[in-house]
Amino acid sequence: MSSILEEIETKIAGLKTSTTKSNVGVVRETGDGVARIEGLSDVMLNEMIEFPSGIFGLALNLEETEVGAILLGDNTKVAEGDEAKTTGKLLSVPVGKGLLGRVVNTLGQPLDNKGPIKSDTFYPLEKIAPGVIKRRGVNQPVQTGIMAIDAMIPIGRGQRELIIGDRATGKTTIAIDTIISQARLNKTGEQGDIKDYRPLYCIYVAVGQKNSNVARALATFEKEGAMPYTTIISAPASDTATNQYLAPFAGAAMGEWFMDNGMDALIIFDDLSKHAVAYRQVSLVLKRPSGREAYPGDVFYLHSRLLERCARVADEFGGGSLTGLPIIETQAGDVSAYIPTNVISITDGQIYLETDLFYQGVRPAISVGLSVSRVGSAAQIKAIKQVAGKVKLDLAQFRELAAFAQFGSDLDAATKARLERGQRIVELFKQKQYNPIPVEEQVAIMWSMQNGYVDPVPVDRVKEFQGKLQDYLQTRKEGLLRSIRERKQLDEDLESQLKSALEEFKSTWQ
Amino acid sequence: MKINKEIRRLSRQLLRASFTDGQLDRGKIASLIGSIIAKKPRHYISVLENYKRLLRLEVEKRRARIESASELSSQAASKIFSSLKRRYGNDLTAEFLVKPELLGGIRVRVGSDVWDGTVRGRLQRLEQQL
Repeated sequence: MSSILEEIETKIAGLKTSTTKSNVGVVRETGDGVARIEGLSDVMLNEMIEFPSGIFGLALNLEETEVGAILLGDNTKVAEGDEAKTTGKLLSVPVGKGLLGRVVNTLGQPLDNKGPIKSDTFYPLEKIAPGVIKRRGVNQPVQTGIMAIDAMIPIGRGQRELIIGDRATGKTTIAIDTIISQARLNKTGEQGDIKDYRPLYCIYVAVGQKNSNVARALATFEKEGAMPYTTIISAPASDTATNQYLAPFAGAAMGEWFMDNGMDALIIFDDLSKHAVAYRQVSLVLKRPSGREAYPGDVFYLHSRLLERCARVADEFGGGSLTGLPIIETQAGDVSAYIPTNVISITDGQIYLETDLFYQGVRPAISVGLSVSRVGSAAQIKAIKQVAGKVKLDLAQFRELAAFAQFGSDLDAATKARLERGQRIVELFKQKQYNPIPVEEQVAIMWSMQNGYVDPVPVDRVKEFQGKLQDYLQTRKEGLLRSIRERKQLDEDLESQLKSALEEFKSTWQ
Repeated sequence: MKINKEIRRLSRQLLRASFTDGQLDRGKIASLIGSIIAKKPRHYISVLENYKRLLRLEVEKRRARIESASELSSQAASKIFSSLKRRYGNDLTAEFLVKPELLGGIRVRVGSDVWDGTVRGRLQRLEQQL
């Protein structure tokens, strides 16, 4: 008891008892999560404003005699005539490793009943992205564990790769798979099984999602053991537009801490379409002029300044990275709408998911023709390059031939072989959700395909063949997989080992 | 009432014309209002409303509200007022108010600047920090 009294006493002694100067204004209007305040002549842009009920606001519009502020928290507690006060502070969130394994809201407050967040570092939400001098090129891979992505649309650490598609095409699933894959790799890395492994921490920002979706993602992460490496920032559909607008920035701040401290992080913005909608709402109630589709003029800058914070930092500045996977939902496959074109032009490539493919059973429904990765191939490990170099071309040729072959049945042998191969590649790239494949197994599978071991297998049994091959490699050829993982490229020795392993497997396969 | 650009511009012009040597001029203001009412330009009522608001803010900038828990002695009051005049200029006017809920000390507001040296303010700060 006495210690509490002492503590209070020291705090009182530490308090400045002198007169304080502050800048105040009077609330003239409030509603829709926005307040208009008269006065506040010294307020700064984006400064926090304090209301008498303990609620905070953020000054977004500085006008001649008025200030437009968005309210954080319960906006029914702010009334007309209240005296609002400037604080001289910018909105910041707690950052650090204490957030891993936690579910927090936009302000970094816990939502998971696991007690307070252990963190003594705070980062401002809005921060200028690292400049040219601080950056370096992408050269380390993010292994998503999704074969189609790792082989054809590789993602590097520090890259921004957009995941775009209609509703219910598996956008979030790709993001969740990637997180699960990182968790498995991090775990193996901790055990020392991967040389020089740099753990990749994940941040999942849910903006305007259904609470049930966030709960399902959380349950998946917990089931797959991914939570110890993951932070979830939740601004669900029931949250205020202010919180939805700020959530991605809070996530970026948390990710930047890892980057600044020489670590690697991955951030998923799920999704930026709803983020733009929340920002549109905030802007319209602040009476900012609206532009195309009623979005405000600075909606491009909103996303560009957010995504620009994903970077790979040069080694002399710590060598950390922040990889961004923004998600955009299109309407009826229309990528030429306002927000999709904006974000496509900002990011370093996109993974385009198609409804048609999804219903044909090609899952993940990645459209190979429309998906690109502009920088990721620099980060691919050599082994993958060796086996997957031609896959994209093979698939593209297959799609062209498949359309052409519908008209005639008389095909020459080469065309037929190409079609057969294409069908099998498509089969191989089908993958169950929450089931990432380690990179060494991907190499072995694709090597077997490149060297014609899959060709004799009937198309409808390719998946079965692949599953059995993976089982066989995991149980009987662990050493081989380990050498692929460690050497990161296929030399003659490894190729001959792979060849003998495949021959042996082939003899048992029926 | 939505204020459009025209109203805002006109009322700002009126405000700018209301000063003589950097101080609000009663006679000028009265004649300006008189001429507006006589000419009746478009939205003249909104213009006058907005002009009134701008004038109120301008007057507030030059008025000190000095709140204290108990009545201040005339000596203390004039001391406070003269030091405020030094800071804000000689055209400052003062308004003294007694507010027992401040518990002790004084609170001065000029425009949107506030100096808070009241016991209540300190208690509030203490409450936030603990």
